[in-house]
Amino acid sequence: MKQDIEQTLKESIARQKMISTEDITLDSSLEELGISSLDSISLIFDVEDKFGIEVPNEALKKVKTVRDIVEGVDALIQAN
Amino acid sequence: MQDKVVITGLGCISALGHDIPANWASLSSGTSGIRDLEGFEDNDLKVRKAAQIKNFDPLDHFSPPELALLDRHTQFALVAAREAVTDANMTEAHLKTSGAIIGTGCGGKETDELTYEKLYLDHKSRVHPLTIPRGMPSAASSQISMQLGIQGPVFTVSSACASSNHAIAQAVQMIRGGMIDVAIAGGADAPFTYGLLKAWEALRVLASDTCKPFSADRDGLVLGEGAGMIVLESLEHAMNRGANIYCELGGVGMSADAGHITDASSAGAAKAMKLALMDSTITPDQVGYINAHGTGTRQNDPSETQAIREIFGPHAENLLVSSTKSMHGHALGAAGAIELVASVLSIKEGVIPPTANFTQPGENCDLNYAPNTPVVRDVEIALTNSFAFGGLNAVLALRKTNG
Repeated sequence: MKQDIEQTLKESIARQKMISTEDITLDSSLEELGISSLDSISLIFDVEDKFGIEVPNEALKKVKTVRDIVEGVDALIQAN
Repeated sequence: MQDKVVITGLGCISALGHDIPANWASLSSGTSGIRDLEGFEDNDLKVRKAAQIKNFDPLDHFSPPELALLDRHTQFALVAAREAVTDANMTEAHLKTSGAIIGTGCGGKETDELTYEKLYLDHKSRVHPLTIPRGMPSAASSQISMQLGIQGPVFTVSSACASSNHAIAQAVQMIRGGMIDVAIAGGADAPFTYGLLKAWEALRVLASDTCKPFSADRDGLVLGEGAGMIVLESLEHAMNRGANIYCELGGVGMSADAGHITDASSAGAAKAMKLALMDSTITPDQVGYINAHGTGTRQNDPSETQAIREIFGPHAENLLVSSTKSMHGHALGAAGAIELVASVLSIKEGVIPPTANFTQPGENCDLNYAPNTPVVRDVEIALTNSFAFGGLNAVLALRKTNG
């Protein structure tokens, strides 16, 4: 499941920032990828839509890296 | 020499009340109109707080045939415009040659959504025949013209949350240019529809609790609704008819960030404030009060604070800067006009409305925000800031007049 989330997220980021998925790792920080707050809510929307979850605003404020999002989304899916 | 432009009438309807006395009673006592959201109990909205207008029965103001043409935001626009015109003691003859420039961020959303509900949910094959004239973005300005007999230039200005200030700025320029002597200007919005609330929710900028501008634990804005309207006229025209003058609208400043769609730049905000001061030949040290844009979002408040510090330097320490959105909510295209009304009355009454719901100062929010308690202070000059999505900025400067 985590691999699915990672792949979906990387594809969203790649599409939005017009970069290659190969340039994105789990440890990439959102800042170094140039992801603004507006970008991040669009990315999360893609993931929410695909996996049928809702990420609370509070949780979104804490994410700093791609891994943070993957882990957080995985936990939400498990909780469902 | 260019004639001065003065304010001679005020009208306002917001979560704080249906007229000027009710609004000022709340503003001058620091009483917030933010409550639990009503009317959406049976759906999945997460937003629970709102600054809605309570106990508003359209039939108190309009006949049933009139109402068929009036979207909720147009109803607010008319209520406030009638109050402003009555307050200014305008005659039919004056109104005939006046202009009306009205801002709205959302336009007829209530009408649009009711129409879509009928088509997409109820699978009706027809919609109401007045859907177009009721829902068009220029509906409010059109109705103000028709109901008040205004036959000069009339149109709608839309720049999201700066719509009111841009509309008022436009009216000021037309009076200065000699095109008209009198204008009704302001803004109206009614954003409490299911689709629009969902859209705001998706943007993740709505407060989970309440609107706490400049506070450390602020987490967003609270939507409001309503309308603010003012009567503007040339000083000469006001003097000739013996009008009661509230104050001078001394200057306007407009700029655009040409940057990010939602994250405002402090440079664009600073430029608009600077231009408003230059336009009114005011030096920064003359300013006593700023009614801030102060949305209560993480992004706006430190950025606006930085812009104020940049323009005012050491004098920033002497300023009172409050966000009345903490009380009437963020009424979007109506916000600037409601805040201008608040600022005009602040100058007239010598009382500065506070920033309500203030807890602890946020990071990089280090000005005097008049936390929670109104401040008694005579102010010669006040600014009101509006900074919209899209980076569209408009600032108005008010100057006290003698007598």
